[in-house]
Amino acid sequence: MRSYIIKRLIYSVIIAWGIMTITFILLRLGPTSPVDRYILNIAARGQDVESVRQAIEARYGLDKPLIEQYFTYMGNLLQGNWGWSFSTSQSVADLIASHWIYSFQLILLATIFAIILGVGLGMLAAVKQNTRIDYAASIFSFIGISIPGFWLGLMLIMVFGVYLGWFKTYYDTAYPVWSLENIRQLILPVLALSIGALAGYLRYTRSSMLDNLHKDFVTTARAKGLTEKAVIGKHVLRNAVLPLVTIIMFDLGSVVFGGAYLTEIVFGIPGLGQVSFNAIFANDYAVVVAVTLIGTFLVLFINLATDVIYTYLDPRIRYD
Amino acid sequence: MRERKRLYKAGLINGLAVFVVTALLTGLISGCAAPAVRGSFIEGDVSGGEAETLNWILAADASSFGYVGFTLESLANYDNKFEIVLRCLARDIEVSPDGLVYTITIRDDLKWSDGSQVTAEDYVYTLKNLMFSDWLNYNYKDDWQEEVGGGKVFVTPAVVDGTTFTITRQTVQPEFIYTLYGVIPYPKYIAVKYEGDVTAFTQAKEFNDLSYTGNMGPYKFKQWLKNDKYVLSRNLDYFLGKIDGAPFFEEYIVKMFGTSAVMQAALEAGDITYSGIEPQNVAKFKKMPGINVYTVPTRGYNIIAYNQRDNGWEGLRNKEVRQALSMAIDKETISKKIFLGFAEPAYSFIPSSSPWYSDNTVMKLGVAPLNDKQKAIEMLKAAGYEYTKSDGHDVLLGKDGKPVKLLMVTTPGSDVVESMSLLVKQELAAIGIDVEVKWVQWPTLLRQYMMNKEPGANQEPRYNNGPRAVSEDAWDMTLMGHNTDALAPSGSRVFFASDGGLNSFGFFNDRVDRLFQKIRSKEGLDKGDRSLMYGELARVISEEQPVDFVTYTRANRGFQKNVRGIEPGINMGYNYYLWRFE
Repeated sequence: MRSYIIKRLIYSVIIAWGIMTITFILLRLGPTSPVDRYILNIAARGQDVESVRQAIEARYGLDKPLIEQYFTYMGNLLQGNWGWSFSTSQSVADLIASHWIYSFQLILLATIFAIILGVGLGMLAAVKQNTRIDYAASIFSFIGISIPGFWLGLMLIMVFGVYLGWFKTYYDTAYPVWSLENIRQLILPVLALSIGALAGYLRYTRSSMLDNLHKDFVTTARAKGLTEKAVIGKHVLRNAVLPLVTIIMFDLGSVVFGGAYLTEIVFGIPGLGQVSFNAIFANDYAVVVAVTLIGTFLVLFINLATDVIYTYLDPRIRYD
Repeated sequence: MRERKRLYKAGLINGLAVFVVTALLTGLISGCAAPAVRGSFIEGDVSGGEAETLNWILAADASSFGYVGFTLESLANYDNKFEIVLRCLARDIEVSPDGLVYTITIRDDLKWSDGSQVTAEDYVYTLKNLMFSDWLNYNYKDDWQEEVGGGKVFVTPAVVDGTTFTITRQTVQPEFIYTLYGVIPYPKYIAVKYEGDVTAFTQAKEFNDLSYTGNMGPYKFKQWLKNDKYVLSRNLDYFLGKIDGAPFFEEYIVKMFGTSAVMQAALEAGDITYSGIEPQNVAKFKKMPGINVYTVPTRGYNIIAYNQRDNGWEGLRNKEVRQALSMAIDKETISKKIFLGFAEPAYSFIPSSSPWYSDNTVMKLGVAPLNDKQKAIEMLKAAGYEYTKSDGHDVLLGKDGKPVKLLMVTTPGSDVVESMSLLVKQELAAIGIDVEVKWVQWPTLLRQYMMNKEPGANQEPRYNNGPRAVSEDAWDMTLMGHNTDALAPSGSRVFFASDGGLNSFGFFNDRVDRLFQKIRSKEGLDKGDRSLMYGELARVISEEQPVDFVTYTRANRGFQKNVRGIEPGINMGYNYYLWRFE
């Protein structure tokens, strides 16, 4: 197992390097320039666009040959220097250090919430199949899957922020991250981000549980005189949860790259989603490459973690 | 006993009298006293408006200068009538009679954070050693250069004494003074440490956290979390606050929002103090008891540029044809229906709010009586074009006998632009011209349609590579939004002069070139003469119609009702340091 993990980690580094190189080259070969966004401002000041472009590119070394830029970047990266973000005027490392926690807390809470509630309701719906509880869970899951998270976010703000006044209409970074006030103000964003995943987990858990509930080993367990709680908890759930792990881990990757960003935008949470969005529009190459690199490592890590978790959940699985 | 009672009564009356007088005096004094200092003023903005740097000399965006401006005053600014309001200046800039030497005298009570005085030396050092240097690549060098002997040279700053310095030019440029008013200095004692090293200067802590600003601005830097908020705290030492204790907010916060919908929800909920309001929401906010909405003019305007280069429809190289097209597009409808009344028809690059605007010289195309489709058709016929009937409709034929079909390129993502595009399509269809609207992303618009080069030439694509240059893809019209400088509109030469760096639509006119030159020469020194020149320039450009000036937009600003001291107008923020909560 250890050699498998080491091997996977080595592959991860190679894959990440490849993706980083491709991103670096594509960004610079693309048709955009950091100056594009200033054109109107430059024009309003009656300035010559070309001279401003040359000034900006010279200042940040973007006028140098691509290969020179690449090796300079790689050299800096190997020394732990992620570069300078010219669209935010700070080092990329500082930029990420000051924003990652906002994405992390949101994704963490939304994932925990979706798993606990989704799996819990899914189990309940399966155990109470064809009852009102099951029907209600089904309706809830259909609605949850259908509602776009950003729309739900806006509605939550209008209802609970504007009309009822229970919550602030935006996320306020004045509160310490682990304070109760902060957890409270994350309720609406977590709801908006997790609703789709929650509904999905509910459906998957229910159907997976139902599959297992009718298998022979469950009948055997019941015949042995085990309590229903033990049958469900020890036998059914353990078998039902295996495909769910894949789905949850897959979801986590897509949340990191997409879902959380929209929620951050709606609620004004200054997480890495917002950082990368603004960096892309500003052609802030160093930030885009860094965020891509972090995202790549996260997905690779999630995949590796999924494989490792499998071995614990199902002892038959081995990586030799 | 009676005596004691009398004495007691007298004492009571005296006491009462003293109390009343004291109370009256207290009331009188408190009535005259400075407003109370309290609360946080929270300004909402959307993420696109986030500043890039507090190290202002590196900034290319407008927001960065705005952020720095909270902590560092410029030499002067303007009120809503464009009257000069002195800030760091002790008196207005003196210009020598020949228009070549500018004498600038700053206040003697300006301090850096270490307590040292801000001197003329700091200003001259900032100009000579930073803004004019080769190593720092200041973005707006052009402001400080003049053409002498066929080349560009910098103006010459020189220290006169501790608070006075001069700027000497070799050529007269009457509008140069507006550039001077905007100058802000770096502290020489810090900047010298980084001189010559662009990386060190860019990353200098003092310049990125504004820790040097002393008493130079109403607020001091407190915190900046990118894409979230910019927090400033009240500057107790602010040089303009000596008399009345301004500013009157404990904190001034700029809060970024991902969407304008949420920002306006925050204003409605009272979570922020101020934000812009979109036209469609103005009526709703005006009904709210807790909100004041001010509608103010802006510097923003919309244009439809006609491609007069070789890869545009040949008719667009004829000014009568351009006039006919502009005549068919109803600006009143655009102002009222698309901007819901928050815009006014535009006829020139000079807005009506500018002191240089002359209403009687411009050709008011697109507004009655010059909004006339029948007349537009007659003008096209007079220009040598014929019409044919197709499905009962008039169709304009090109010189090649084929129906004229124009391509209008614009960017997606704005309801206003989409509505305008469709309205233009509808209006031109009424004079027999089919318009295809193509929405492309901003970088694509710039690269494929705006940048150009001479076919076959070994040129780098630019926005104006001369009269023979063409863009990579053909186009006929484009719909864009621009800002203009109401005080120095000659900056618009970048669009309309033959050598203008953003003259991507290929408008070349000697008369216009000469007028721009005259305005920026000693002939423009006299304001009356300059005004006449601007009037003539606006007339020629409106007649030539290289672009259809569509509308000047008005902005709507929503404030919580308890904010006092606001003077609505085009420069309504000029006195923001006096704003206060009731």
